[in-house]
Amino acid sequence: MEMATSSEASLDLEALRRLKSTEPPLWLAPSAELSDTARSASEKLFSFLKTYAPKSPLDQLLVNGFDAEQIWQQIDLQSQPLLSSLKREVKKFEKNPGEIGEIKKVLEGDKKGLGVERKGLEEESDGFDEELDDGFDDDDDDDDDDREEEEEEEEKEVKGEEEEEEEDEDEDEGSESEEEEMEEEEKGKGGIEDDFLKINELQEYLEEDEAREYGIKKDSDNKKKKGGRKVLDEDEDDDDEEDEEDEEELGLFDDEEDEKADELENARYEDFFGGKRKKVPQKKSTTIDESEEDSDLDDEQDDDKAMENQKNDNLSTHEKQLKKLQSEIEKMEKANLDPKTWTMQGEVTAAQRPKNSALEVDLDFQHNVRPAPVITEEFTASLEEIIKKRILEGQFDDVQKAPSLPTKAPRELKELDENKSKKGLAEIYEEEYVQKTNPAAAPLSFSDEQKKEASMLFKKLCLKLDALSHFHFTPKPVIDDMSIQANVPALAMEEIAPIAVSDAAMLAPEEVFAGKGDVKEEAELTQAERKRRRANKKRKYKAEAAKRTMAKKARENTSQNHNDGNEE
Amino acid sequence: MQNNKVPASMEIEAVQPESISESGSLPPKPKFKPLKAHEMSDGRVQFRKVSVPPHRYSPLKKAWMDIYTPVYEGMKIDIRMNLKARKVELKTRPDTPDISNLQKCADFVHAFMLGFDVIDAIALLRLDELYVESFEIKDVKTLRGEHLSRAVGRLSGKGGKTKFAIENATKTRIVIADTKIHILGSFASIKIARDSLCSLILGSPAGKVYSKLRSVTARLAERF
Repeated sequence: MEMATSSEASLDLEALRRLKSTEPPLWLAPSAELSDTARSASEKLFSFLKTYAPKSPLDQLLVNGFDAEQIWQQIDLQSQPLLSSLKREVKKFEKNPGEIGEIKKVLEGDKKGLGVERKGLEEESDGFDEELDDGFDDDDDDDDDDREEEEEEEEKEVKGEEEEEEEDEDEDEGSESEEEEMEEEEKGKGGIEDDFLKINELQEYLEEDEAREYGIKKDSDNKKKKGGRKVLDEDEDDDDEEDEEDEEELGLFDDEEDEKADELENARYEDFFGGKRKKVPQKKSTTIDESEEDSDLDDEQDDDKAMENQKNDNLSTHEKQLKKLQSEIEKMEKANLDPKTWTMQGEVTAAQRPKNSALEVDLDFQHNVRPAPVITEEFTASLEEIIKKRILEGQFDDVQKAPSLPTKAPRELKELDENKSKKGLAEIYEEEYVQKTNPAAAPLSFSDEQKKEASMLFKKLCLKLDALSHFHFTPKPVIDDMSIQANVPALAMEEIAPIAVSDAAMLAPEEVFAGKGDVKEEAELTQAERKRRRANKKRKYKAEAAKRTMAKKARENTSQNHNDGNEE
Repeated sequence: MQNNKVPASMEIEAVQPESISESGSLPPKPKFKPLKAHEMSDGRVQFRKVSVPPHRYSPLKKAWMDIYTPVYEGMKIDIRMNLKARKVELKTRPDTPDISNLQKCADFVHAFMLGFDVIDAIALLRLDELYVESFEIKDVKTLRGEHLSRAVGRLSGKGGKTKFAIENATKTRIVIADTKIHILGSFASIKIARDSLCSLILGSPAGKVYSKLRSVTARLAERF
């Protein structure tokens, strides 16, 4: 953006004034009227400046039908040597630090005081104070302080030669009045300033904007820098004072200025701010000190107000949007950084998720098992029906034994008879032969006899079972067998079932055995008994023998008697 | 003229004189009646003599009539005991139907002498295909002393039950006389009995022999 105006008394300021009076928004849209006025204004400035730039080839700024670029080139042509001459002038001032020191002292001493006076002087001058203040209140580093001032001056001098004038006036006037010099200096620097444009205010606005964009840091920095600058200025002032006091010759000044320049060139952040920790209280103290002064207060208050305003004021829509975006971004970043919720993780065991959290989540998974059948009344009823039906039909799903394959009839195992065969060999062969030729007439074999015996036994068993199970008694089938007669009297035979077992029917013991007691077997007898028995036997024999002989004799006698009888 | 030399022993029927007159043509085949026993050997009588071992002397005496009757009446062979020579002599009679009777009777008596019972030996008279085989234990396996005794014991078994078992199973009769073994029966049955006895001699237990006997006899019975 073009700076609006630079005012000059001797110039035809009408065009410039017109430019100044236009509203800033009108500059946004291109208008032919404004461009014409701008061209005329620049033309006049150019012609005015020509007096100070003897070397410029152009006598007049050619404006009509020329491009902005071309016009600028013409201005540049003129201004280049001007700039170099200005630089020379500044260097001169550097070599004569006294003048500068005087000027600076005045400036600093009345910096804040000049704030009010400047305002007052602004009416008279054209914002020297503000220029100077701006020069001191810039955000640039203190290293480039002088250079900034120079640059500012140079920038401003494109359209204003008042600075030169003022500098010349300062040089001419010397130390008429420090304030005046200051004022003039300030004037020189504040040549651009106007009632409309106040560099101080511009500075503040710029700071505010920057603060809005980047935060409130800058204010503190500004404050720091302000304080630092002031310290530096104070140091410089001290040095200058010393220099002033010590020497006033150029050579020394040169050396000192050289030293000063060196010092200035080698100055570091720490010199001004001396480490962040140290300087803060100092700055605070400085700020506090400064705040004591009214002028300082005003400025500081302004600054403070500015800071607070930045915090509390409504943010612009852009700012709001930016804030929203930022908050959202922060949220998203936070979410990404945090560990995922358990549902988003892969396999999660019960220990890794909060208690009962699975209940809240709607899980979906496949069931591979058929659900168990619900047992209802109908279900059981249907089952029972089936069971009843099956029982009635008699159709049970029993496991049926697989039918075994028909094998050969089991061979009759011939029992090995281990007894001596009762038949002779001839008979055996005879039987064999008969069996071969005439099977029917063959006598029963051993196995047949066994079968017969088995059948007999079975019949007996059946008879017994029938007698037990039937109400009606059936007698034994008569089999012509030899039966053993028991030693029982005939009466007992009649009775089938003995009512009572009594010994009456039995034989009497005398009938069973008649004899003396103490019957012993041959083996049991002792020797004495054996002898006794033999003796008894002998006696009996003898007695019988005697009887026999007696009977014989008797017979013989009788016979003899008979004979004798006969004979007689 | 062709003179056919006729052996003196053979009796030939009168040859037709007409046949001789023909020249070149062969005479018809002679037809002879079977020879009778006494005509054999030129009408001479044939003898067989069977010696009697001393331990068979009293049994012979007891069973003489059982021997004599079937031989004399059944086979029509004269039989007598030569006490001096301690031999049984057999002689054909003129009415002996078959010359083989003499041999049969001789075999019968010989069997009795070996130790067989009369009723068992009678089978020899009645059946043709019965034979008697004899062998010794030492033929099977050389055994000495106690082993021999044990082998004999194994053969008979307790109370002779093993022997009887073999006899009944194979339809044979076995006589174990010390180390000599005589088997009476048909050819196949003799073979089976002999195998069983040999296995017993060689040492197999009776149970094994029984099982083998069972299977073999079953097979035998099935065949017939």
